[in-house]
Amino acid sequence: MGASLQIQPAHLGKASIQVKADSNRDVLKLLLETDKSAGIVALTGLDMGEKIGLMYHIRTNGAIVTIRTEVPKENPKIPTITDLIQGAQFHEREVADLFGVIFEGHPNPARLVLPDDWPENLYPLRKDAKIDDVTVKTENPKNQAETAQAQSDGDIVNIIIGPQHPALLEPEKFSLKVDGEIVKHVEPRIGYVHRGVEKAAEQRTYLQDVYLVERICGICNACHAACFVETVEKIMGVDVPLRGQYLRTIILELNRLHSHLLLLGHAGLEIGYETLFQYMWRDREPVLNLTELLTGNRIIASAMTIGGVRRDLKETDIPKIKTQLVTLKKKMDFYHQIFESEPSLKMRTKNVGTLSKEDALKLCVVGPVARGSGVAIDVRKDEPYEAYGEIPFNLITRTEGDSWARLMVRLDEVTESINIIDYALDHMPQGPFRIKVPRVVTAGEAINHVEAPRGELFYYVKSNGTAYPERVKVRTPTFANIPSFIKIAEGGNIADVPPSFVSLDPCFSCTDR
Amino acid sequence: MVLDLWFVFRVLVFPGFTFLFFFTMFCDWVERKIEARMQNRVGPNFTGPAGILQPFADIVKLLTKEDIVPRGAKKTVFKIAPILSFSIIVFALSFLPIDGAAAIPNSSFAGDLIFVMALITIANFFLFLSGWASANPYGDIGAARVLTQFLGYDIPLFLLALAPAFLAGSLTISAIVANQYLPFVLLAPWAFVLFIIALQAELEKDPFDIPHAESEVVGGLETEFCGGKLAFLRLTRDTQIVFGAALVVELFLGGPSGPVFFGLPAFWYFLWFVLKLLAVVVITEYVTCLFARLRIDQVLTANWKVILPLSVLSLTLTIAAATWIYPLVV
Repeated sequence: MGASLQIQPAHLGKASIQVKADSNRDVLKLLLETDKSAGIVALTGLDMGEKIGLMYHIRTNGAIVTIRTEVPKENPKIPTITDLIQGAQFHEREVADLFGVIFEGHPNPARLVLPDDWPENLYPLRKDAKIDDVTVKTENPKNQAETAQAQSDGDIVNIIIGPQHPALLEPEKFSLKVDGEIVKHVEPRIGYVHRGVEKAAEQRTYLQDVYLVERICGICNACHAACFVETVEKIMGVDVPLRGQYLRTIILELNRLHSHLLLLGHAGLEIGYETLFQYMWRDREPVLNLTELLTGNRIIASAMTIGGVRRDLKETDIPKIKTQLVTLKKKMDFYHQIFESEPSLKMRTKNVGTLSKEDALKLCVVGPVARGSGVAIDVRKDEPYEAYGEIPFNLITRTEGDSWARLMVRLDEVTESINIIDYALDHMPQGPFRIKVPRVVTAGEAINHVEAPRGELFYYVKSNGTAYPERVKVRTPTFANIPSFIKIAEGGNIADVPPSFVSLDPCFSCTDR
Repeated sequence: MVLDLWFVFRVLVFPGFTFLFFFTMFCDWVERKIEARMQNRVGPNFTGPAGILQPFADIVKLLTKEDIVPRGAKKTVFKIAPILSFSIIVFALSFLPIDGAAAIPNSSFAGDLIFVMALITIANFFLFLSGWASANPYGDIGAARVLTQFLGYDIPLFLLALAPAFLAGSLTISAIVANQYLPFVLLAPWAFVLFIIALQAELEKDPFDIPHAESEVVGGLETEFCGGKLAFLRLTRDTQIVFGAALVVELFLGGPSGPVFFGLPAFWYFLWFVLKLLAVVVITEYVTCLFARLRIDQVLTANWKVILPLSVLSLTLTIAAATWIYPLVV
């Protein structure tokens, strides 16, 4: 490789390696030789005028290393890395859709996020793409996916889950090829509600973007906002006051509580356990009330701002929060007992949708899905942000790797979250909760990741020295976890699809940014 | 033949059709209220005192809705099957003694237990037909699941219903009721417990509500139904629950007879019957709230490998007890 490799240690706040386009695979092979469990976090495309920049963000030894490369815009071709890291499949398809980069040797280079009738040669995230170029066609000759549903090939029957299906509250499509009751093949198709948030973020100021990215996902909203403001703060070199960091931690953990309780209840609904669903959602209410007490809003907290948080915590509110949390903690012990002992619940989730540790690493899954398979990754531990470095808490992992284990990880994380909030309230430092920052952000770029309830959330922000960002890249946890659904569902019973699917906690409004 | 007014009154008003209809509504309300309270909800509370008229309002609302027959559906079957299955279950209910005698006077005959059980099987088959005729994949799967499940659970249910028959030494329901000096639940508790479980499956309630698994088959066989036909399907389901509970009362809980008894016999018969029936409804609803839905293969495995052998065993045990043990004791 020699001249093609150039180490830039201080870049992006993390290590990054500049390589030539044709040697991306060689560098990756070297990385995989030193750390077999290395996986891809995200693949960022970047319009650089004459060229398209590609950044492979690789997780190795608990840290992120970025491999940077460039391809010419006229002939954007680069060899695929899917055969080296299986989990890169979706990342490459997304960049192919949005930037028009051709990944040579990709096993399934079909469209992923763009609709099938999207015009050819119009790549939305390139700077020269005009939204007026989009014309709605009445004829739809390319729509192979739709015609494929009607066919049945001998004993194999095509079953379509979504875009509208009662087991799937959000519009995505999964085509299952079923032999009797056994699922043989799964083909996901996302992008039904793609909103182009990354493009929209380029046309808004940084402060407006905080509220834009918050709306990527209604459930983990605070995580999106926090991850974005942290990235911008990294570019500006701003340090948030300690009290602001603690308040952010509390809001992020309340976010996790509300997300996990929602999912656990929803899992009950999917396996026909309505009592569990009603109980869980009842106990989720106090968490929403606490979020309202702290931020003024029940769901979309709108609490984060560049330089701190928007509201301080009243001293008189601390006992109120603590009482609620004590009650919730007692209830979680009860639920723990239910999940451990209830026979019908265990029959539906134990040994269902098993994902082995090897597969979890290969597919680069994140969050509770990875931890349920025994992969101990958690950004809060690996690279502590906000106040997590000062707060003691346990990293919950399970080795079973089945749907039950994934639900149990979340159940135990709820208790950990309560402990974190409790500790943060006790050790809340005095002082300002935010600092004033200029509206114009200095030129630069940064990557950042936080642990959202569904797993690692990744942001890349590039600033060109104006009040508007040049590029905002979001990689949501569900996007990283969807490939594992294919692995989980294939070979399983079709009736196991809803429980194993819900145990991934898929969020499609995240996936379709 | 002179039209007997008393006969008409009994069949159409009390304890016949009108009473059974309103009682079904009442049981539906009790069920919904119990389920809601167990799940920490309020349940119906708007129509009438404590929402007692809500089931009735639901039916009336459905009857006023537009009635659509999907293109491709087998029209005649699609229209008739819900009404037929409802009628058959009400007909079967009229054979059970409610206020000391059945709704149809002097209808009791030797072996009417078998006749009533057969009627229920036919009613279930009409339910299957209604889903199968609706030309919808979810309706098809739901209907097939109804058939699979009830074929499996009909056999154990019937075997278990034979236990009281052996204890009473008769296949006539009125004779079984008359022979219960001690309710048979005390003489054959094993058969009672198994009967409740099999009934739970027969009535398609949790943990056996496979045909209604909305995360898998949407509305099951009801998917394409709307308006009046859906109202009849709902009524069929509610009446089935009342019938199942009534069967438990007749076979195991001593039917309409009870410990306190003076004055007008019909009133006390009726009161005890209703109280016992509500108790059974509460038990089944309690089970429903406690469990998650099993998978279809788990349900069938449970049926053929557990419930069926157990019900054969229970029958053997009951026959043995009825022949050798109880004559010594009683």
